[in-house]
Amino acid sequence: MTSYSNDGFFNPAYHDSETLEIDRRSSSKNQHINPYTREDPAWRFDGADTHHSPVCQPSSADAGRVALGGWQEESWRRRDSIPMGVISNPGSPSWQHELTHSTSQINPQCDQSPSVRRPSSVSGNMTMRLTGITMNRMNMFPNTDPAFIEDAVRNEMEKEEQDLIKELVTLSRRDRIRTIRELPMCFEEKKHIRSQVLAFKTSKQSHNCTCFADYFENVTLCFRRCGYSIRSARQTLELWHGIMKEISGKFGTSVLSYFVFLKWLLMFNIFSFLVNFGFITIPLLVYDPSPNIPPNVSFRGLEILTGAGYISYTVMYYGGYSNETFVGLAKYDMQLAYFFTIAIYMVLCGIALIFSMARSFMKNFVLVNPASDKAWQLLCSWDFSITNERAVRQRKNNLRVQLKESLSEQAQRELLTLSEKLKQFGVYLGSWLLSTSLAVGCGASIYYLCQYEQEQATDAANWTLLQEAQTLLVPFVVSLMNLVVPLFYSLFNKFEHYSSQRRQIYALVVRNIFLKLFILGVLCYYWMNVVAYRFTCWESMVGQALYRLVIVDFLFLMLGSFFGEFLSNLIGTRLLPHVGIPEFDVARNVLELIYAQTLAWIGIYFSPLLPAIQILKFFILFYLKKVSLTHNCQPPRRIGRAAQMQTIFIAVLFFPFFVGALSMVAYVSWRLTPSEQCGPFRGLNSTFSVVGVWMHNLHEIPGSQWVIWIYEHIIESELFYFLIALIVQAITYTFWQISQGRKALIALLRQQIVNVGKDKSFLIDKLQTLQNSDPNKKSKEKDQKMHTKQCSDEQSSGSQSNSNAMVQALLARQQFEEEDERRSADGVPVPADISTPSALMQAMLARQRAEAWDEHLYQMPDNYPSSSSTLVQAMQARQRAESQERAEYIRTAPFSENPVNRFSAVSQTDRSGDLSSSVSSVKMQVREKSAEEEDRFQWVPSPSQNPAPPGSSALIQAMLARQQAQNEFDDGY
Amino acid sequence: MGNKQTIFTAQQLDAYQVGVSVKYLKPFTRLFYRYRDLAPQLVPLDYTNHPDVRLPYELIGSMPELKDNPFRQRIAEVFSEDGKGNMTLDDFLDMFSVLSEMAPRDLKAYYAFKIYDFNNDDFICKSDLEKTLNKLTRNELTEDEVRMVCEKVIDEADLDNDGRLSLEDFQHMIVRAPDFLSTFHIRI
Repeated sequence: MTSYSNDGFFNPAYHDSETLEIDRRSSSKNQHINPYTREDPAWRFDGADTHHSPVCQPSSADAGRVALGGWQEESWRRRDSIPMGVISNPGSPSWQHELTHSTSQINPQCDQSPSVRRPSSVSGNMTMRLTGITMNRMNMFPNTDPAFIEDAVRNEMEKEEQDLIKELVTLSRRDRIRTIRELPMCFEEKKHIRSQVLAFKTSKQSHNCTCFADYFENVTLCFRRCGYSIRSARQTLELWHGIMKEISGKFGTSVLSYFVFLKWLLMFNIFSFLVNFGFITIPLLVYDPSPNIPPNVSFRGLEILTGAGYISYTVMYYGGYSNETFVGLAKYDMQLAYFFTIAIYMVLCGIALIFSMARSFMKNFVLVNPASDKAWQLLCSWDFSITNERAVRQRKNNLRVQLKESLSEQAQRELLTLSEKLKQFGVYLGSWLLSTSLAVGCGASIYYLCQYEQEQATDAANWTLLQEAQTLLVPFVVSLMNLVVPLFYSLFNKFEHYSSQRRQIYALVVRNIFLKLFILGVLCYYWMNVVAYRFTCWESMVGQALYRLVIVDFLFLMLGSFFGEFLSNLIGTRLLPHVGIPEFDVARNVLELIYAQTLAWIGIYFSPLLPAIQILKFFILFYLKKVSLTHNCQPPRRIGRAAQMQTIFIAVLFFPFFVGALSMVAYVSWRLTPSEQCGPFRGLNSTFSVVGVWMHNLHEIPGSQWVIWIYEHIIESELFYFLIALIVQAITYTFWQISQGRKALIALLRQQIVNVGKDKSFLIDKLQTLQNSDPNKKSKEKDQKMHTKQCSDEQSSGSQSNSNAMVQALLARQQFEEEDERRSADGVPVPADISTPSALMQAMLARQRAEAWDEHLYQMPDNYPSSSSTLVQAMQARQRAESQERAEYIRTAPFSENPVNRFSAVSQTDRSGDLSSSVSSVKMQVREKSAEEEDRFQWVPSPSQNPAPPGSSALIQAMLARQQAQNEFDDGY
Repeated sequence: MGNKQTIFTAQQLDAYQVGVSVKYLKPFTRLFYRYRDLAPQLVPLDYTNHPDVRLPYELIGSMPELKDNPFRQRIAEVFSEDGKGNMTLDDFLDMFSVLSEMAPRDLKAYYAFKIYDFNNDDFICKSDLEKTLNKLTRNELTEDEVRMVCEKVIDEADLDNDGRLSLEDFQHMIVRAPDFLSTFHIRI
């Protein structure tokens, strides 16, 4: 092993890298004269061995590592916010090899759970990943020992694994399964985690294991399996799965959202059909299977279109239901059934819409930020579900065009002048006015048309064919408007150049909604204010009108997709190639669906079986649209944000349309008098009074007092609604406040992320500049790392031989620190600096010599009176030197603590910050120290020059000694 | 039904269905057959004794669901255990469970990040973005345009200003791009 490593070490290219410290050390040994060479082989062997073979690691750690290293690494990476270098590491090959080598050697007996151990190839792969992460770290800390980092990483992983398992054990089963499922790791690893958790649990439970627990476990397991098989069966039976897949493969998710919406509406209608049919129609048919059709009415065929004539006497419409109470096995009050079925259906619809809308909003509108457009286009917009080669090509083209456009738009946007802006504003205003007046005009013309028709129509039961066909005029005009006017809107849209596609679509959608609302509003007004007072069985008339609208709308949808899409495809491919193949306009098509569904909702009161027609319509429409789409259309050029659009569509479906239909039905049932000749509510003042009658009857039945109480105190009391409204308002306000608070919090957190990022980049910049500008400092860092690794003193002093003066000085400092520690332990004040002892020594010698000289002088008294002053001066100089030394010692003492403090303080904050600050602190120290030395250098000689006694050689010697010490010290730097 | 019993043991089924990711899947036996259909001669019908079968990337990449995907190779590499695109059954199940409709956002975001991270350095840096862009636009943008787009992307999405996108940046972006959930989805 060692010999192998040495191959790597002595590779010259390899040597240049600063990544592997070991390599540095051993090669430096070859290049420089090392005073400690004799000790070298021993440590080298040592280091190589311990660094390279994790074989002797504790067993549990190994087990965890082998099986779990992968995921730990993953989760570690997830949380890791340390930027890692991209630089490929020259040392990696040898490392990888070695790691793989060493990890695959792990003792099988170390493994805690052999059953879940992965095959050796897997462990190799895992090791590769482990190596990858270690490499990343090493890029981050280029001067650290890789083995050290690797160990740290492993420890981190192990700890995380243990934490995770502990955390999982405490969770409930459902939560645990969910958590495990959401771990970003591969199946094998998840399986392992799961088995570990289970093992942990069973070992915990084994003390109080009872048969009952076992039994319970088995039963729940059985149920679970049952549930899974049911779910999977349901998934297999999913409607139109294949078609959906094909559509998304060819046209992408945005077009698919239309079909998803269509399917959702279809389900809605199936539900409403089942409810209505089951609770209203079936009881009637069971009680009275024969429709009471007048003998002179026969089926003529046109009824399918108009819904009049024969059909108007069937259970299709309101008029076909009776107001009787059927007495069979139990009493079945038709009035109540009719009322409650419709009411409950509407309420359920509302709840379902609100919930799906809220969920959709929560999912899709949480933090939508329109600013990040480019990033979205590049990284989030690719539709992975596209599997068609042509579609892929087209989408690539579109993306390219879009990117180019947005790049040029950016350049253009700044050039917009005021006059241009005004012009654009004028265009917007004009087109809005035009489109609104168009919608109003449509509504007005429909109203007059309806009035005209009403003058023509009679309340006769037997219309001629022509009269019957005339009734189709209004629906025809309405559908025509619905088809043609949106085309005008699209035309307007071409003239106004909206800055963003999203605004353009919204403008289009809003205008179309206005149009449809005006049309429906006018129709409803007409039905409630004119039809309701004119016809004897007016509910059925309204039902017929709605039936006609639904049918004609269906025909127009078919024609529209045939002529609109097929013909424009023909034109685009044969006649005018520059027009191109038509795109599938998702927004327009969805609005058509919404309109159709609104008709069905309005009609639910007047024609309870209208959902059946609707089901048929949507079912056929699905296939029709699919065929038309695949044959005539190309995928939309613009990649819209489909999810948001879908949310908006659901919201639109709820707010103006469903709420409008609901209020229409509510108005009809509360305010309008039901017709007296037909229908379940004949003879009542209003539909709602059926509840009052029911309550009145309930008085006779004992034990139903609570129902009456509820009716009187809740349903009929204004106070209750007032209170409810207040509470709802209070709750809404609270939630609004909470959401405001969260918004503020989100802004704060985002700011915090930005700040942290800035800090990080600042620190990294600093680190890099430090590393680049002063490569010598690294050796200091290295020494410190060695220190933390607790290498022997010999090692650190071994590199003292480095010709580098810096290193020497730093090492000296280190040694001095060590000495310092020792000294503080002993309590003996020993001078700290490596050069100071000698200086001090010399100074002492000089002093001794001076004293000797003094004594000599004493022996020859009063010869030289100046000699005593010399002595005094010498003494002074000595004192000064000593005090200086003491001062220095005092000054250096805090330094020796400084790095430790800094280390501990900073290491808690950030790793990278830690590194850079440690470097900078070291640098600072060095600078301060040298400054201090310089200071002293200037300061020390000055007093020594002052006395300048001629002949006091002792003093001069002392001075010289002092200076020499100084020089030595300065040389060190 | 009888068929199903012979392919996997009850424990395996339980592990697949209860323990882990495959819940998001369509009945996973269908997936198993899809896997097997890629190479009927290689994949045994009996998985009860954990056979070590690995389909090469060429077969995986030729699936109709993947064959036209510009990222097919990256997808296979990310989900395969050996990092080269050769897949075991478990890898295969993993892949389609993450790419299924029901997988949670964070899981999807994590793997999408890995897919876009071409050089596996845990960051989407400029070179990764350039590769992505070239894959998505058939190399038809000029160098300048590519550079501008990449700069813009990093400018928009890089919250911590380190000049590249970390997983956190990416997730942050995903949260604000709800379409991602529906587009990072392969129907099987």
